[in-house]
Amino acid sequence: MAEKTITARVFRMDPAVDEESRYQEYRVPFEEGMSAMDVLDYIYQNLDGTLAYYDHAGCSLGICARCNCKVNGKATLFCQYLVSGDLTIDPISPSKVLKDLVCERKRENP
Amino acid sequence: MAARSIETDVLVVGGGGAGFRAAIGAREKGATAVLLSKGPLARCGASPMAGADFTLDGRNLSQLGFAGDPNDSEEKVFNDIVTQGFFLNNQKLIEQYVRGAPDRLKELIDWRLKIVFSEERAIFTTGIGLMDVLLKRARTVGVDLLEDVMLIDLVVQRGMVTGALALDVRSGEFIHLAAKAVVMATGGWHNAFWPNTGMRDLSGEGMVIAHRAGAELGNMEFITFCCNVLLEPPNARGSIATYVLGMQAGHELTNNRGEAFLDQYDPYTVGVASGTEWNKSFISHATAKEVREGRGFSRGGIHFRRGDEPWEKYKAWCGILFPNWKYKSLDMTEIGRRLEANEPLEVGAVVEYFDGGIVIDDGFATAVPGLFAAGECTLGLFGANRVFSAITEMLVQGADAGRNAAEYARSAEIPAPDPDSLAEKQHKAERPLERSGGLRPAPVRRKIQEMAQTHLGPIRTEGELQSLLAEIQRVKREELPLLSPAAAGRSYNKEWVDALELENIAALLELAASSALQRTESRGVHYRADHPVTNNDEWLVESLVRKTDDGFALATRPVSTTSITPPAGTTPYLDMVKGMMERHSEIGGHH
Repeated sequence: MAEKTITARVFRMDPAVDEESRYQEYRVPFEEGMSAMDVLDYIYQNLDGTLAYYDHAGCSLGICARCNCKVNGKATLFCQYLVSGDLTIDPISPSKVLKDLVCERKRENP
Repeated sequence: MAARSIETDVLVVGGGGAGFRAAIGAREKGATAVLLSKGPLARCGASPMAGADFTLDGRNLSQLGFAGDPNDSEEKVFNDIVTQGFFLNNQKLIEQYVRGAPDRLKELIDWRLKIVFSEERAIFTTGIGLMDVLLKRARTVGVDLLEDVMLIDLVVQRGMVTGALALDVRSGEFIHLAAKAVVMATGGWHNAFWPNTGMRDLSGEGMVIAHRAGAELGNMEFITFCCNVLLEPPNARGSIATYVLGMQAGHELTNNRGEAFLDQYDPYTVGVASGTEWNKSFISHATAKEVREGRGFSRGGIHFRRGDEPWEKYKAWCGILFPNWKYKSLDMTEIGRRLEANEPLEVGAVVEYFDGGIVIDDGFATAVPGLFAAGECTLGLFGANRVFSAITEMLVQGADAGRNAAEYARSAEIPAPDPDSLAEKQHKAERPLERSGGLRPAPVRRKIQEMAQTHLGPIRTEGELQSLLAEIQRVKREELPLLSPAAAGRSYNKEWVDALELENIAALLELAASSALQRTESRGVHYRADHPVTNNDEWLVESLVRKTDDGFALATRPVSTTSITPPAGTTPYLDMVKGMMERHSEIGGHH
């Protein structure tokens, strides 16, 4: 039997070139207990390296809160959202997107 | 793209505890200080992930009003760190550690650190609480904090550091830093291994860049693995929750034959290793042996259960360690249910701490004028094996390194960084962006991370180290020059960052594997199955890697001793482990 897969619908937008956002769909193998971060890691590492989500630093264990986002319309953290089936992934502030799922932040110093 | 320019007296690289404390120390000496944090402020590096224990001698602890053991002393702590380190420590750094600890704890209390509980020679707080206190203090004293900024290289002129090139990961723009002194505080290079317990950012830039600038690195083969780290469920992979719980509440560890595999070892050794932070080296060693000999489970681990420990005891500890069934923010409900039902959790030995690093003197200066280093990225304090706290290390070393860097900056005549040198480094860092249709970094990284886990784990052999080295050299030759991000554009281009990090990871793995090959003995966290003896006659030396015109050269140097003379002779590894445990002072607790 083929392994179970799920569909992730992911918000994509590069404001430097795109006028409008779009959703891109990916098929990802499902594993019991996986988080939305595990889904994004799988996509980035195996399917599409152009996807931007906050991944160059951060903890994956719910303490840094830098991966705040929306999954299926609800605000959450990628790393703490437990996946049970197909999902739609959005940035926390779609109007302030730096790239895909990464949003702009105010700098505290020059 | 135009680069931003920033001038400072002291540049601190690293957003963990050592970096924050160094920046505070420099600022308190009147220097201007800029801190580069690769990730979120006070939420990157290993520090916020720590348990976190701050160790110091019980006498000083009790004088500060905590439940420390008044029979303890600085000398006893010194003795215990030397023997836990298998005599490979730099004893001058241990003196600095034991003497500096009380002041560092006092200031944390002044800065309102919340302490959860204390024992014979340690207080327990949280990594997050500690980082919040340091962040607040850094803001109070006026440290300039740069977030999501990664160090690319140092500028060295006439043999001294004059500045640095950094990358703002969000915008993709370069930052030119003019600095009179630089403190490296970049911690470990967990990202060279999979799985790991570190944050996603720890890729060892500080060590590699210091080495490139002319500083030596030492004891790179000594890598501490934490035992009993969760390998499942996927969202908890890499969490040390079970490690922390097991040390307090006990555990049963079994292999795939259902055997309690620790039973084959000396009961005294197992007893000490189960109840103290000796567990990291000993239980990781024992776990690796089971897994290597085909007695592990599918994720490369063994089974952790409550075993015969009563649920009431477990539940009480869970209440202290996992308030509201959360460890950090990790939901522990399902894990708690499995522990209560005595169902197994797969756990394993996962990379946690790097005992070797940048060669520094007892003022935390490297041999390169203007370049200092502090914390986990340095060589020497813990020798071949760390049991005492790295939280104390980062604070005592950060404070002195920052102050000494500020003093150097005040006295030194430093030219502005050479624009040509900055431009050249910038061009080199941009190379992956200029390629197209090459290799993607993530699969290359995963392949070498998994190989590092199996070939440079707690147990090593010449054959495996040779094949790791050959593979790393092949990747350096054939794959790194082809890495190219699929996405155009500089802003949050993660594959670009990954390509830059991979160069550093490959360099560190090559140095560590070469050092592990050179060290034909077993000591501390370095066990050679083909050389299973601690050899004090030939190997009571630090391994060094020096930069040369065409790469690096291996060397050794004697350890720095002050008051304890190391023994002579050779001893089988596990006998040596037991001997080191037996030389511990009578003071209790987990260290």
